[in-house]
Amino acid sequence: METINKLPKRRSRLHKSEERVAYLCLIPAFLGLIFLTYLPLAGVLGISLTNWTGLKRPEWIGFDNYVKLFTADPYLKDSIIATIYFAVLSVAGSMIYSLFIAMLLNRKIPGRGFFRAVFYVPYVLPAVAIYVGWSWLYEANFGFFNFLLSEIGLNKILFIADSRYVIPSLSLIAVWLAGNLIVIFLAGLQNVPGVYHEAAEMDGANGWQRFLHITLPCMSPIIFYNLLMSLIANLQVITPALALTNGGPGNSSRFMTYLMYDQAFVNYKLGYACATTFIIFAILAAFTAVLFKTSNRWIFYEGGDDR
Amino acid sequence: MSEAPYVRLKSKKRSQRTMNGITLILIVFFALLVLFPIWWIFRTSLMTNSEIYKFPPSIVPKDWLFSNYEKTLEVFKFWKYLLNTMIIIVPSCLAGTFTATLCGYAFARLRFRGKQLIWALCIGSMLLPAMVTLIPLYIAWTRGLGLHDSYLPLILPYFCGGGAFNIFLIRQFISSIPRELDQAATIDGAGSFRILFSIIIPAIKPAMIVVALFIFIGLWNDLLQQMIYINSSDKYTIALGLTNFRGQLKSDWSLTMAATCLSFAPGVIFYLIGQKYFVEGITLTGLKN
Repeated sequence: METINKLPKRRSRLHKSEERVAYLCLIPAFLGLIFLTYLPLAGVLGISLTNWTGLKRPEWIGFDNYVKLFTADPYLKDSIIATIYFAVLSVAGSMIYSLFIAMLLNRKIPGRGFFRAVFYVPYVLPAVAIYVGWSWLYEANFGFFNFLLSEIGLNKILFIADSRYVIPSLSLIAVWLAGNLIVIFLAGLQNVPGVYHEAAEMDGANGWQRFLHITLPCMSPIIFYNLLMSLIANLQVITPALALTNGGPGNSSRFMTYLMYDQAFVNYKLGYACATTFIIFAILAAFTAVLFKTSNRWIFYEGGDDR
Repeated sequence: MSEAPYVRLKSKKRSQRTMNGITLILIVFFALLVLFPIWWIFRTSLMTNSEIYKFPPSIVPKDWLFSNYEKTLEVFKFWKYLLNTMIIIVPSCLAGTFTATLCGYAFARLRFRGKQLIWALCIGSMLLPAMVTLIPLYIAWTRGLGLHDSYLPLILPYFCGGGAFNIFLIRQFISSIPRELDQAATIDGAGSFRILFSIIIPAIKPAMIVVALFIFIGLWNDLLQQMIYINSSDKYTIALGLTNFRGQLKSDWSLTMAATCLSFAPGVIFYLIGQKYFVEGITLTGLKN
């Protein structure tokens, strides 16, 4: 009788000490979640309902900032268009490019590790240096790309100084930077069971059919992960605007995050900038939600419908 | 009769060999394409300004003017910027990795009340874009705590778990370690902390290095936060220094490219040293979701 009573007691003491350790370990995460995540999130909402400029006492103005943003802001619409244009172009480009390169690297070729390292290099260079470096390649008169254009007899293009070309030009840099996607895709491809390909080959499937019906379905969870991550990253784009274009020419590269930066840290309209922040947040959330909602239709999980 | 499959096998082998040949050519072509901008930037950094504007441009500089770098270093205080950047990066990497390990361990192995809820909050914050909290945090650091022109707002967040994504990564990695190891240690009387330090941490070293590298790359690529928190030029990081340098010397391309190459260098060196971990780590994130 005594031993039976003792056993749960001892276990619970052990459990208590385990709990204490757990809470100790989680102190940093608690602090982070409260002070760096959820309180600031509430703060964005709260500040967006005021006219705070950082100088005067903020006044409560309800939804005026939002009304003004949607009806009278000269930049918001262009900014949303520029951001989505950039994100879609960059994400599509880098997904196709990196899947293609990963499939090439997945074949048994000499020096595979070396080439994988080469494609990854742009990812470890500091972003600002990349944009400054590329601005020279894009230079109007003596830049390399304009030399190429003149060699094949075309007119020169003001790549980042022309509102028609600035977004595609910046997207090309984003594609060039996609080395991390290649590495993830390559790891995924190496997990596709070889037997599937062999079986399909026996049945007479050609390379394209095998890509469509084996590689793509098996890779779909990884494609989803890369798609989600690069979409979220590219919708938050700001560095090229800060380092290179200042949102120009015109408003053609005034990305949403840059718009927010400009309102808050150049014009000190903190309340107004928080309203913009919330709109960006809503747009990002909408993209993420659509991606998740449609994902169960095209993602194939090996091992069946266990979800 | 018995020859037919043999012939087919042989032709299959031959077609595979041509396929590999084509693959290799394509790979070399794309690799050159990827490296070309870097080479173009480097070769420009070694040229006189008149050689830069020559037509047609040459691929290789005539005489390799390393003196451009000396001239650049007079204005572009690279070593100082590098030191400043490291003052931010080193404590952030150490603290971020350590606290992420603590939190990941608690979520992976320990039982406590409220685990589900805290974990959900943690995962939820992963989907929250970083720029959303920028303005409130800026107000809190500069107005609330009076930290103007300071590195602390850039460093201190890493003392809080190093971001939900890194906690998630560590947790997944710990979950893949067999529990028998810590159960055996528990029977021997080891407490939870002892298990963490003597069993878990040695086993998850690769994941910890990966987390440190992610924090490194994040800070390395950041410009926005450094721009809003740092004002004085003697506190400039590489990113700020280069942005500023370009603004000053808009048309002196060879010196600007020399500064760009200098900024490239630390990342490339770190990458060459830690290449194995980089690749391993990126792979890890893609497959453990």
